[in-house]
Amino acid sequence: MSRNKPVKYSALGLFKRGLSGKEWPRVWRDVDLKKTYDVVIIGAGVHGLSTAYYLAKNHGVKNVAVVDRAYVGGGGSGRNTAILRSNYLTPEGVRFYDRSVDLYRHLAADLNFNVMFAPRGHLTLAHNDGALRTMRWRAEVNKVQGIDSEVIGPEEIKKLVPYMDVSDDTRYPILGALYHPPGGIIRHDAVNWGYARAADAMGVEIHQKTEVLGINTAGGKVTGVRTNRGDVSAPIVINCTAGWATLIADMAGVKLPIITHPLQAAVTEPVQMFLSSVVVSGSLHVYVSQTDRGELVFGASTDPYAAYSMRSSLEFTEELAGHVLELMPSISKMRVLRQWSGLCDITPDFSPIMGFTEVEGFLVDVGWGTYGFKAGPASGEAMAQLAATNKTPEIISAFDLARFEEGRLASERGAAAVGH
Amino acid sequence: MSGAQGSSRGAQRLGEVVDRNRTITFTFNGKKYKGLEGDTIISALTANGVKIVSRSWKYHRRRGVMSGNYHDPNCHFQVNDEPNVRGAHRRLEEGMVVSTQNVSPSLKFDIGAVNQKLSRFLTAGFYYKTFIKPERLWPTYEKVLQRFAGGGKVAATGHHVPADKRYAHPDVLVAGGGPSGMSAALSAADAGSNVLLVEEEYELGGFLRWGTADELAVAQSLREKVAAHPKITTLTNAVVAGRYDQNWVSVIERGLPVVMESLIKVRTATLVAAPGLIERPYVFEGNDLPGVMLSTAVLRLVNLYAVKPGERAVVFTGNDSGIAAAEALRGIGVDVVQVVDARHGGGLVRATSSRGVLSGVELSDGSKVLCDLLVVAAGWTAPTTLLNLSGNHPVFDEAGARFVPGPDLDDTVFATGGLVGDGTIDEILAHGAAVGRQASERATNGSVTTVAPAFSPDPHLPLFFGTTKGIVDFSEDVSSKDLLTAAHEGYNSVELLKRYTTATMGPAQGKLETINTVAVLASANGESIEETGTTVWRPPYVPITLGALAGRSYEPVRYSPMQAWHESHGGINIVAGQWMRPEHYGDAAKEVSTVRSGVGIIDVTPLGKFELKGTDVTKLLNLVYVNKWSKLEVGAVRYGVMCGEDGVIFDDGVTGHLSEDRYFMSTTSSGAAGVYAHLESWLQTGFPEWDVTITNVTSAYASINIAGPQSRELLSKLVSDVDLSNEAFPYMNLRTGTIAGVPGCHMWRIGFTGELSFEIHVPAGFGAYVWETLMEHGADFGITPFGLEAQRIMRLEKGHFIVGQDTDGVTQGFSAGIDWLIKLDKDDFIGKPELQWQHDSGAGFRLVGIHPNDPKQVPTEASQIVIDGIIQGRITSSRFSPTLNRSICLGLVVPALAVAGTVVPIRLPNGTIIQGTVMEHHASYDHEGAKLRG
Ligand SMILES: Cc1cc2nc3c(=O)[nH]c(=O)nc-3n(C[C@H](O)[C@H](O)[C@H](O)COP(=O)(O)OP(=O)(O)OC[C@H]3O[C@@H](n4cnc5c(N)ncnc54)[C@H](O)[C@@H]3O)c2cc1C
Repeated sequence: MSRNKPVKYSALGLFKRGLSGKEWPRVWRDVDLKKTYDVVIIGAGVHGLSTAYYLAKNHGVKNVAVVDRAYVGGGGSGRNTAILRSNYLTPEGVRFYDRSVDLYRHLAADLNFNVMFAPRGHLTLAHNDGALRTMRWRAEVNKVQGIDSEVIGPEEIKKLVPYMDVSDDTRYPILGALYHPPGGIIRHDAVNWGYARAADAMGVEIHQKTEVLGINTAGGKVTGVRTNRGDVSAPIVINCTAGWATLIADMAGVKLPIITHPLQAAVTEPVQMFLSSVVVSGSLHVYVSQTDRGELVFGASTDPYAAYSMRSSLEFTEELAGHVLELMPSISKMRVLRQWSGLCDITPDFSPIMGFTEVEGFLVDVGWGTYGFKAGPASGEAMAQLAATNKTPEIISAFDLARFEEGRLASERGAAAVGH
Repeated sequence: MSGAQGSSRGAQRLGEVVDRNRTITFTFNGKKYKGLEGDTIISALTANGVKIVSRSWKYHRRRGVMSGNYHDPNCHFQVNDEPNVRGAHRRLEEGMVVSTQNVSPSLKFDIGAVNQKLSRFLTAGFYYKTFIKPERLWPTYEKVLQRFAGGGKVAATGHHVPADKRYAHPDVLVAGGGPSGMSAALSAADAGSNVLLVEEEYELGGFLRWGTADELAVAQSLREKVAAHPKITTLTNAVVAGRYDQNWVSVIERGLPVVMESLIKVRTATLVAAPGLIERPYVFEGNDLPGVMLSTAVLRLVNLYAVKPGERAVVFTGNDSGIAAAEALRGIGVDVVQVVDARHGGGLVRATSSRGVLSGVELSDGSKVLCDLLVVAAGWTAPTTLLNLSGNHPVFDEAGARFVPGPDLDDTVFATGGLVGDGTIDEILAHGAAVGRQASERATNGSVTTVAPAFSPDPHLPLFFGTTKGIVDFSEDVSSKDLLTAAHEGYNSVELLKRYTTATMGPAQGKLETINTVAVLASANGESIEETGTTVWRPPYVPITLGALAGRSYEPVRYSPMQAWHESHGGINIVAGQWMRPEHYGDAAKEVSTVRSGVGIIDVTPLGKFELKGTDVTKLLNLVYVNKWSKLEVGAVRYGVMCGEDGVIFDDGVTGHLSEDRYFMSTTSSGAAGVYAHLESWLQTGFPEWDVTITNVTSAYASINIAGPQSRELLSKLVSDVDLSNEAFPYMNLRTGTIAGVPGCHMWRIGFTGELSFEIHVPAGFGAYVWETLMEHGADFGITPFGLEAQRIMRLEKGHFIVGQDTDGVTQGFSAGIDWLIKLDKDDFIGKPELQWQHDSGAGFRLVGIHPNDPKQVPTEASQIVIDGIIQGRITSSRFSPTLNRSICLGLVVPALAVAGTVVPIRLPNGTIIQGTVMEHHASYDHEGAKLRG
């Protein structure tokens, strides 16, 4: 099988195939692993897939393999809580994440795959005057950059979230919130599959169950990767493995200032829609949104220890439930259906690392911590440009690996810790 | 049959659990019904001849009882204000208001059912393929999708009644009170272990409860033995919900008064999983019609509740459970017209319907049989959840046609009963007893000598799906056709398939549908079930309420011992981290002027306070602070700043030298917990050999700052054993002495406000007394209590920064104007390389004093300084200074602007720009510090 002939998804198509019973073509092909590619991308999460997509689409680089030891979206990209927003703190961060939200806005049409982009509004609650001051700061930074972001008071919060207890006799009274109307959620799997399908249609190969075991270099240059399905040579190898990023970088002899922490999440049984906004509380270490299916999705801050284990803990759900009920006491009869965990690659300044390393041709797109899903499109676009042109695009220049040696930290500590 | 019992209630059954003398009235969808005590919602509805109990999730198809147990996805109801109540488990209560969820306008006529007609177009994942363009319409489509989905309703108001959590520490925890579980519990207890036995149903007995007279007798005798055993604690209507590392197990107890559920956290030495088996549905056309039931659902309805689930039954079976169901049905007077036994070549093609309910079946021999009940007994699923959560991966047992526990169980986790194999009751009891003994051996002395008899699944027919397509996941309305289509499209691994079609992701969490999902996928891929593999079972085993998980909050609000005084004297509270403290007592500006001209006192108890003891304390201080500590004399105090490894300021405070090897450290109020963790972390992981002990004495002392030109005079009225004169007790010194008769008080001469001041730390129990005494003696001086706001104004006038307000997550040491403090010539300390780098490069913002050119304008904190569209700084603190009668600020600006006299544009939140001038010093008041030293 060579090229996957793209068949357009549409209501009409659904109707016709519904009548005829004809099956849809495959989303992406299963093909043999070749011996050589122009670019090998490790990790079939949103970062790897979007990089491949923009390489093919914007730069005509199509001889690309995306390899993953598991399945498409099996890492953080299929485990995250899919919050999108651009109300970050540093000008570099704001500009970059805003580009990503912008790409997300039109992604369904671009990929011809409904990714269920839902800009429902994003609220970051402040329970004390220090937090309120930080919210004000973020709002001002955002506004200067043209981002829709404002501090609102308890009455307005109540209007947006009628279930919220905004009275002042609670343990953690709500003093106000940073309100970011363009923030929202998206269907994470759809984004991953949409990118995979669209990239495949242009000739990119997606290889699941293909584990990278080593990285070959010669004379300070990358020459290819070793996998469980054999060696593959390529002049450019891009590390898009998030929680496993340091393990892959080690194979190339590159040290990354990253520590991997587990991050847990949970989901309830579905109930009728009652929460349209995404609600985040940094002080209470919790955030919540409701999916179109009616489930509440919860998340929190990362586990305090470094680990590659994806086990869940009871404490996580206990604390989460306690804090959610502080915010919305009337939902105590809802039931937690499932909890899970993923890995987050945390950098010292809570900003990502994108760009060149000391090994020529070995590029990194890592350090996505708890906030990388929303960045998928913008980083893919920029990394593709970097790989194709061998130059760092301006929009990601603040996020290079060298900044840790040169002291140019881009700290999003205040905006990224729980907000994701 | 009397209406009170329901028209389909049959004659008394041997194992019946209802009380025929007690009638319960309830409503279902607004209509009144009667049931009996002991009935579940579902048994009562069935007894009343109600067949259609719900509508399905996506296509809004009519649904009736299917598995008839807790997990039955068709039996979710709204009960009063509680959504998603499991109607096949929840017992009736007088006056219960039960309704169907997610139908509009009614269960009978549900608009959503048009989806059924459209189902050929609405295959799994259809929404990914449509509503793409035009983009602006997606929000509207989204609302429609949302309308069709969703379970019950939660009320907008109402409060969380905290359910207290309990702890339990048994030697052996047995999950499941069927014959194997009871047998395991008994033998473990006989071997001397304390056993906790947890059963999900209301009664012990497992499948024996709906069994034959002999089986009932066995159950009864086991129950009696369990009840009589002093070493067994039994919980019924409770469930083992999760197993976490080191046998940390969550147990949910249900049906308690007032609270719905509560959480028991169990640390058990060993865990025995004995959850029995779950009957799996069979996939064929019409398999979700009301009237199609699993054999165990029928056995429960008939034998536990004496309810006739139909009039004319056909039984399709691949095992003895179907035969038993047929017998039970006959026993209660149902006409069993045909038993189709797959073991003898019988086959089922489809079920047909009339008016939305089952009307007949078509068999593989071509015959059609009319019936209103189709009993299906296709086989079993072993719920391996607890083992999965212990790191075990189930493997497929080809002959037994089910996944069974994999090899290499965690050595503290055991499994018995149906989870492991099939056998006669004697065999089950023997295996349970052996495993119980093993669990006890492992729990008490560590080595397991008992050998469990061989026990494995009997051969079963691989009955997963038939020749026609049907529903695989009843919770999610996913059909085998959906699965095949999705697999052929490329979602062809279990993980992708499950995410794409949402099969196994609904409330039943795969218990009923995983095996059939895997079987259909295997057929699509032309692989074996073993090659296809199964999904990971994630906690919890069954959904648990947020209320139970939350329990009662033990996050205390902290108050100083003087809080009662503040509240009775007009103090207005502000939340400061964990603390509540007075922001002001009515007029902060007046408080400021009184302090500046006379004297005032402020409650600063929330300051973090640590006693550090040991011969290596100075080493620790030199490590964590940026300045030097080796030469701090006994009796002196010093200001210090702590930075992280990134050179970013993270706390500041004053530390005093009490005696040879004792120091007293104070931190910011909000930073106390973080500093404590930081110090301990360095001591425990970086320098465990150092002799330093840290005691957190934050709440052991009440702290009061006495500030103002008359503070010395006031304090000297109450202190006789310490010479308070400037010569004997100069600025930046400490003394320990007696205040108002209270010994052991620390007095420090420091001052955040910029005035002469004494910070006193008195034993907490005397805090209120000392405070009141100060107020009393201060009356002559016109003393005022002052709150946080007045302190903030005064510290701003004095130019003291607040960590976290005037500094942020990137503010490194040299940005805050503490160049004089940072000692780069010191041996390594935390943050030194970064600070060295900042020192050499001159990078980073600079903290400066800023005066708005219009003295009446107070720019909101966080107002930005924007030049040429680029952010060049911001206002971090701003107040109107009553002392200077003008607005004053601190701000962080780029180095180029950090030059005295520079005029900067300040952009207010509303977009207006005002001008401000960068000042020479941070301080606008007494920059030289003459007052402090006076
Ligand atoms: C619980 C949770 C909630 C989150 N919430 C949000 C949120 O709300 N918003 C947000 O923006 N972000 C969120 N994130 C973060 C986000 O999920 C990640 O930053 C993002 O998905 C990273 O994408 P990626 O493509 O870089 O990596 P991943 O999606 O993790 O993909 C990495 C891939 O690398 C593969 N791999 C690893 N090692 C090898 C190897 N040796 N060979 C081949 N392949 C390998 C893995 O199998 C994996 O598929 C959350 C994360 C978690 C865990």
